Amino acid sequence: MSTAALSQARPRAKGAASGDEAGQLLDTRASIETPEHVLLSYHLAGPIRRGLAWGIDTLVRGLVLVGFGMLLGLSSALGGDHLAGLKSGLGLLLFFLLEWGYFVLCDMLMSGRSVGKKVLGLRVVSAQGLPVGLGDSLLRNLLRSADFLPLGYVLGVVCMLFDARFRRLGDLVAGTLVIYEPRVAWRAPPKLTPPPSQAELQWLPARVVLSASEREAIELFMLRMHELPQARADELGDILALPLAKRFRLRYAHPARFLGLLYHCHIQGGR
Amino acid sequence: MTSPADFVHVRTPLWQELSRKLAADGPLWKLPPAEISRTAALYRAVSTDLMRARTLGCTRDVIAYLDALTAQAHNALYAASRSDRRLRLVELALDFPRAFRRAWPFMLASGVLFWLPFALGWFGTLHFNGFAERVLPTSTLEGMVDAYSTGFNNGRDLNTDAGMTGFYVYNNIGIAFRCFATGILFGLGSIFFLVYNGLVTGTVFGYVQLSGHAQNILTFTCGHSPFELTAIVISGGAGLRMGYALLGTSGRTRTASLRAVADDLISLILGAAFFLSIAAIVEGWWSPSSLPMPVKWAFAGLMSLLVPAFLLLFGRRERAPAPPVGRLT
Repeated sequence: MSTAALSQARPRAKGAASGDEAGQLLDTRASIETPEHVLLSYHLAGPIRRGLAWGIDTLVRGLVLVGFGMLLGLSSALGGDHLAGLKSGLGLLLFFLLEWGYFVLCDMLMSGRSVGKKVLGLRVVSAQGLPVGLGDSLLRNLLRSADFLPLGYVLGVVCMLFDARFRRLGDLVAGTLVIYEPRVAWRAPPKLTPPPSQAELQWLPARVVLSASEREAIELFMLRMHELPQARADELGDILALPLAKRFRLRYAHPARFLGLLYHCHIQGGR
Repeated sequence: MTSPADFVHVRTPLWQELSRKLAADGPLWKLPPAEISRTAALYRAVSTDLMRARTLGCTRDVIAYLDALTAQAHNALYAASRSDRRLRLVELALDFPRAFRRAWPFMLASGVLFWLPFALGWFGTLHFNGFAERVLPTSTLEGMVDAYSTGFNNGRDLNTDAGMTGFYVYNNIGIAFRCFATGILFGLGSIFFLVYNGLVTGTVFGYVQLSGHAQNILTFTCGHSPFELTAIVISGGAGLRMGYALLGTSGRTRTASLRAVADDLISLILGAAFFLSIAAIVEGWWSPSSLPMPVKWAFAGLMSLLVPAFLLLFGRRERAPAPPVGRLT
């Protein structure tokens, strides 16, 4: 392998922050290309969130079992004990279905989500990003009994930590991923307040060209700066503003205002 | 050039429309055709918007929102599967014996790993003093003797039958599933469960025979054994197949090698679960019934022929592929 190929394969640390290169970063994301050639990126779900979801599912199954037990107890208290065998049979059948069938049933009914996964925003998908099928769901959930070994999913978690896509043994066999679907709502792009005065606009260059990562950094700073103490906001702002001021040959008094003006000018496509 | 703000402003209604359609959360194919086409068109539009948003330099939030929306729509639209259930059942019934024959070396190994300890347990218990007590606690063994001491000439009440059926489903299918799943540990788990279950079962037979109730236990078990023990061997064999896929990768990566046998594993485990369900019903209702002994043995003989015949002969001839159903030509 030539050195050129080597350096290409290495993730670039600088200037690689734009969305298109997300696949190259060391990150908990997986990219999938759709037939429309759109690159979708998924958040992969880690052991903690998945463990919490499993906890909720265990609770749900426990409640179903307790509810069933109370129903049986009530029927015995009212109607006597002559059907005890049938009742214990039904109880064991329910226990079996909850242990081996609960997750498969949930996957089928709620397209890859159990109750716990739904609460925590998780979903099981195939490696192509599609809903998991019956057979694969069966495989990944049967393999739970191997992932559980020796106790409390230790093997599954170890396997997840060694896999770049957080897959446990069941996921490896069934070819599935567990993704996290955060409920996202977008915020309006940050606005400069008070609006730029005529003098400020005159002072800026006619055209402000920012790279995607610079623009994003300013944007994130503007969205966050009101939550920061003034001194800290200035300190962080300077880190961004100083190199930009040098580039545009300008001197500024307040970094936050300067960055806001640059951003405004860039978004408007000129002053 | 459109500014990112204008772009978001103009396109938002479309995004919200798609979002509403997906939020219904029902399967997409249940919607009227016009709605499905509309959703597909919206999906394509939003796919393009995602790429435009990336090039225009929209805010990180907008890109994340579009990314999630596109992924959700992609997931919903490409979820379509065949809806002809009847055909799937025929396929499943054919796939099971075919997968069984494809995995024959593993089935053979699994059979040996189960039946050899079984024979050893039985033989050892009969001929060596204290052998059985080393395999199982005395209380368990005495419990087994108690269970088979009276025989089933008078049947068992239906109430107990129902209870025991539940127990057989819970216990036996659980054992078979574990026997399969632990095969992922390079086959070691399957080997352990096969040997352990074979040894324990053989020991129980031997111990009950020693106490003079051989006829009772054999007449009781003969009906469901063809299904139950075959299913345990198949589950173990499927586990061995899975474990071996990790070692003999034939040039694939280990995960790809696992994926290559996944379809066969599904067929095998579904088939084994089906056999075990039959076994649980037979064991719960037929085996403890008061039917005369010759009837039970005739049934057992018939099943002992039918089960291997099904596994070895069924679906041997490949039929010409049926014309696709429900597709426009």
